[in-house]
Amino acid sequence: MPRLTVEDLKRIKEEYLRKHDVSRYRAKVTVHMGTCGEAAGACKILDIIKEELSGSEGTDILITTSGCAGLCSREPMITVEIPGRYPVKYCDLDEKKTRQIIKEHVLGGEAVTKLAFAQGWENQDIQRPEAKPYEGIPLTDELPIFKHQVLRALRNKGITDPESLEAYIARDGYMAAAKALLEMTPEDIIKEVKNSGIRGRGGAGFPTGLKWELCYRAKGDLKYILCNGDEGDPGAYMDRSIMEGDPHVVLEGMIIGARAIGASKGYIYVRAEYPLAVRRLQMAIDQAREHGLLGEDILGSGFSLDIEIYQGAGAFVCGEETALMRSLEGKRGMPIPRPPFPVNKGLWGKPTVLNNVETYANIPPIILNGGDWFRSLGTEQSTGTKVFALTGAINNIGLIEVPMGIPLKTVIYEIGGGIKKGRKFKAVQLGGPSGGCVPEHLLDTPVTYEDIVKTGAIVGSGGMVVMDDSNCMVNVARFFLEFTADESCGKCPPCRIGTRVMLDKLIDITEGRGQDGDIELLEDLARDIIKTSLCGLGQTAPNPILTTIRYFRDEYEAHINQKWCKAGVCRELSTFYIDKDACTGCTVCARNCPVQAISGEKKKPHEIDQALCIKCRTCYEKCKFGAVKVGPRDMFKQTVEH
Amino acid sequence: MEGNILIVDDEEVVIKSCQRILEPEGYKVKGTTSAREAMDIIKNGGTDIVITDLKMPDVDGLELIHWIKENSPQTGVVVITGYPSQESIKDALEHGIIDYLPKPFSPELLIDVTEKAINTVKAKVTEEKPYEERDVEEKIDRIMEIINNNKHKPGALIPILEQVQEVLGYLPATVQRIIARELNIPVSEVHGVVSFYSFFTMKPKGKHNIRVCMGTACYVKRGKEILEKLKEHLGIDEGGITEDRKFSLETVRCLGACGLAPVVMVNNNVHAGVDPVKIDEVLKQYE
Repeated sequence: MPRLTVEDLKRIKEEYLRKHDVSRYRAKVTVHMGTCGEAAGACKILDIIKEELSGSEGTDILITTSGCAGLCSREPMITVEIPGRYPVKYCDLDEKKTRQIIKEHVLGGEAVTKLAFAQGWENQDIQRPEAKPYEGIPLTDELPIFKHQVLRALRNKGITDPESLEAYIARDGYMAAAKALLEMTPEDIIKEVKNSGIRGRGGAGFPTGLKWELCYRAKGDLKYILCNGDEGDPGAYMDRSIMEGDPHVVLEGMIIGARAIGASKGYIYVRAEYPLAVRRLQMAIDQAREHGLLGEDILGSGFSLDIEIYQGAGAFVCGEETALMRSLEGKRGMPIPRPPFPVNKGLWGKPTVLNNVETYANIPPIILNGGDWFRSLGTEQSTGTKVFALTGAINNIGLIEVPMGIPLKTVIYEIGGGIKKGRKFKAVQLGGPSGGCVPEHLLDTPVTYEDIVKTGAIVGSGGMVVMDDSNCMVNVARFFLEFTADESCGKCPPCRIGTRVMLDKLIDITEGRGQDGDIELLEDLARDIIKTSLCGLGQTAPNPILTTIRYFRDEYEAHINQKWCKAGVCRELSTFYIDKDACTGCTVCARNCPVQAISGEKKKPHEIDQALCIKCRTCYEKCKFGAVKVGPRDMFKQTVEH
Repeated sequence: MEGNILIVDDEEVVIKSCQRILEPEGYKVKGTTSAREAMDIIKNGGTDIVITDLKMPDVDGLELIHWIKENSPQTGVVVITGYPSQESIKDALEHGIIDYLPKPFSPELLIDVTEKAINTVKAKVTEEKPYEERDVEEKIDRIMEIINNNKHKPGALIPILEQVQEVLGYLPATVQRIIARELNIPVSEVHGVVSFYSFFTMKPKGKHNIRVCMGTACYVKRGKEILEKLKEHLGIDEGGITEDRKFSLETVRCLGACGLAPVVMVNNNVHAGVDPVKIDEVLKQYE
């Protein structure tokens, strides 16, 4: 394979676009294959499509794949495009639906309206061909789930084949690297990135341009550029999606960063739990090396960089930069005190820059379009867009990218489509175990680094877990503390012992042993742990407790004083009973009760035998009329005693 | 004590006195002055331990020991030597002898050493090697290859552990010792890394490894109940393995597939939206 020049990049782009121009085909079918898609059966859908189109009828039809399309709960998904018409997205596919779509839409030319989810283009920077929409299918420009999103870091989401270098080049891939290497000095690059105002997307939000400048100034003959793909927050998978769906953008961002700071060696630290991401990144690295986009004399610029993948072995603390570097050195991933900062003394004692996957994905467009373009979205201190993994008790689960400054309410009720099954919103958890819970009355808060911090949560890496009224906030705090206590590396006592003591207190409270003064003790401990822990893990671990106490103090009090978990989650603190006035006698609860504790005649109020009830919550969840209620632990005991 | 003992010494008197001391203890004692003849006797089987002189005309003691290790490894060897020089004993020890008797030796010492040797031999016969060692022995070539391919790279330990775990399924103490030796680092450092990262496990995996996701989304959708049901159903704890080594159970922080919550992974198959009550239906597919 020849080493590529800028001219080659342009030529490849043109050739690819010509070859994949939908007007040259009868139809184009794209199967979206991220981890979610594959888990939901996308491989089988692809086989069915190939089989259906294997005959003579199937000629002139382009079948292609892409990475994650972002609608994780609606997988498997395909997109069908016919020349002159809008591309149509189909969700929740199975074999029957797929065959019908192939027959009627791909071969027959008419969209299957009742199966279609939306039509149109999600990616704003794509050149839209002349096309006519179909009748009766919502437009992506109008659907709330799409219209508030701006795809920048995810600009290739759902359209490029992650395993094809040409497909990436056709989206102006490596043009930013070419510009940075051939036309810009390191100072120019740093200036542009600083001007963009981009802050690290991994969680802490440190200005990227400043980090690069510090490392650029650091003295050293050998410098390293690292990519943090050790996405450890439970409930977050933005980085996985980018690594799987657009691996070359990570490499290109790193090449530009390496040029800025003068690094000649790079590592991508990826969780070994992400096998597909590892495979696709390795494929991208091999392709880039083969074409002279990595290695010696990249694009004829004289600049050299090689990148290797390093598989992490699953430790949350390795998201912390000094811990990640120890792990790369083959040691226990424990943080060390700063200063010295890694920009001066990092991996193997050399000046090192570590950025997150999403940060790198933002770099190429900044170089191509300029810092001003980037800061045209967002707020003064939080520029650009941010990717979030929206999950939990919400209708549209998936990966979204929104301009910074968008209110939380818009994200949850418009993009997320509101709360599932008509339940009531309770809180949204931002920033994973380091973050906090934001309650309903603060939903107007704009999503920016500075505003979210005021609520006690953090933007973090982008996990956004929505909770409804069936969640117990004390139990949620306990869940996060279990996580941090377990993941504490054990080096510094405030974190190692402090998180354990807080967790024990929370276990006591959720199991009915809470006492007066526990809340105050937790607050006190939290403040001390924040002040005295060595690294970010300990400094942020108390956030989930502090925010839940701040906004849901009544729940803590009910647990401690009344021995009552109103959500019915803490078994020791709940009694399930049926409200006779609300019960219609539909028998659903009785039929679903695993221990036959519910009795009653049809159309007459039912009753739960407290001696038999195991508090499994099944009846509570199955009842359509809200007739199953949760009372305090001792509600029946008291009546007996009186 | 019971046991068949063969005395090999070019001095008849040594054989005689050994017989006189050991036979009353309950041993059956044979003797020969020639190492060559000793080989024939051992070949016929039944010899538990051989007590042999080192310096003998024709075939000497070391050669005999070597032959025994090759042809009858289950036979234990005790060495008698009139010249307990460091060198000769070191040689003999390297050939895996159980003990040695410096000449002249007291009857008490002979009885003691013989008893110890017999116990060692018998223990070896009944004791089967732990399965960890067998697992490692089976894959030792592949393990050494992984180590040799990586050992010169900086930060090699974690990649080596990852690859070895892929081959073995887990990282028993035996293999940690081998890796430490080959990388020339303390075993404590290897163990420190293995115990630090959740990806590494020192317990074997079942034929079907079940991983229950405990991520936030799965947790709020009853992931914990799924875990409890699985524990109950399989009769094992988290991190455990069923007796037939068919199923093992573990939890993971987050599989990053929150849209499909609650998620259980069996081997590499993702089971989405699992209902805790119907967990046995998932298991049935693997039985």
